[in-house]
Amino acid sequence: MADIIFVTNEENTTVMDRVFTMVENVIHMEHGSVALVFLIGVIFGGIIQYTRVDKFEKIAGFSMLKDTIIPKMLFLTVGLTSIGLYFMIDAGGAHYHVKPIILQGLIIGGILFGISMAILGKCPGTGPVSIAEGRIDVLVGAIGGLLGGLVFTLYYDDFFKPLMGESLGKDILTDYFKGDEDMTAIIFGLVVIAIAIAIPKIELFDEADLCRLPDDKRPDKK
Amino acid sequence: MTNRLPWWMGGILMSFLLLLTFSIYGADRAIGASTYVPYAASLIFNLDPEKYSYINHIKDSGSWEGVMLLGVLFGGFITSVFITKSFRISLIPTAWKTYKNNSITSRLLWSFFSGFIMIIGARLAGGCTSGHFMSGMSQLAISAMIFGGVVMLTLVITGKLFYNTKGKK
Repeated sequence: MADIIFVTNEENTTVMDRVFTMVENVIHMEHGSVALVFLIGVIFGGIIQYTRVDKFEKIAGFSMLKDTIIPKMLFLTVGLTSIGLYFMIDAGGAHYHVKPIILQGLIIGGILFGISMAILGKCPGTGPVSIAEGRIDVLVGAIGGLLGGLVFTLYYDDFFKPLMGESLGKDILTDYFKGDEDMTAIIFGLVVIAIAIAIPKIELFDEADLCRLPDDKRPDKK
Repeated sequence: MTNRLPWWMGGILMSFLLLLTFSIYGADRAIGASTYVPYAASLIFNLDPEKYSYINHIKDSGSWEGVMLLGVLFGGFITSVFITKSFRISLIPTAWKTYKNNSITSRLLWSFFSGFIMIIGARLAGGCTSGHFMSGMSQLAISAMIFGGVVMLTLVITGKLFYNTKGKK
């Protein structure tokens, strides 16, 4: 371990100071006020908690094909948003923020992400919600994640950036159907919504949560 | 009042939230949830942005998502205490006991390991379930479709190999 030397900032600041700098960064960006960004987070966390999709039984359960709430909700979200967003962008009410096609990065990263999502039973969006409801194992996972983030930052230029490969552009589906863009977006959205509805609904319940609810509110007894 | 929302209600609400975030009257950007992790690491370890180019690269996204994360923790906590009543301190999920083992050490070691490779994976791909799957696919992005396909496939293969599901309902 002796050869790993962090190059730290020479300014003598506390973690708290640096968190304030983070908030200041948001104030100076043109991406919503701090209050709005915080509120987006509150609603995001609230929806995930209220639908219980942060649960190990939902995400790891999907990896065992014993629960399909995750793909049903994800596909429905994507289908509805894709149609709404396409026409919002068309009308000038929003912009594209498309991520580049970095083929090696997407495939290697996707494999690592899929493996870890099955084992941890969380992803970076649902993990914090589980930590907020008292799941210590996920907090340990987050500490692992922070170290992963640290390693990625330390070796980005030397190792990870070359591994990701070159961008093949920021193509979107409608680029391949010139002249029929509107139709392509609508059909994509409808097909994805149809998939969400067509996936059979199966659920894996967690007795540890359900035993705290009155009998008539238990989803497994309806 | 019910203690959980059905999947279709969750999908509709999440869709509205994404559209609000994309809208020029909202945040004029996509929702993402993995850039904040390396950014938080740079804050905690006080890394010098002059030395590590990645920090400057993610400064804006990391800050935005960092503030959003504080909201996620707050929203998740309030909802778990007052609505879903699911707040409890727990070290090992019920289904882990059913399909893997009863060992807390095993669960915590696997959590640490999977958390570590999860963030490496998300940053290699440039996004996660939120940034790629939800926000990316909603923009019809090809990058998100490749990522989504690889993740779904690997997820299901890992589930089959990692957990012992034989003879259990």
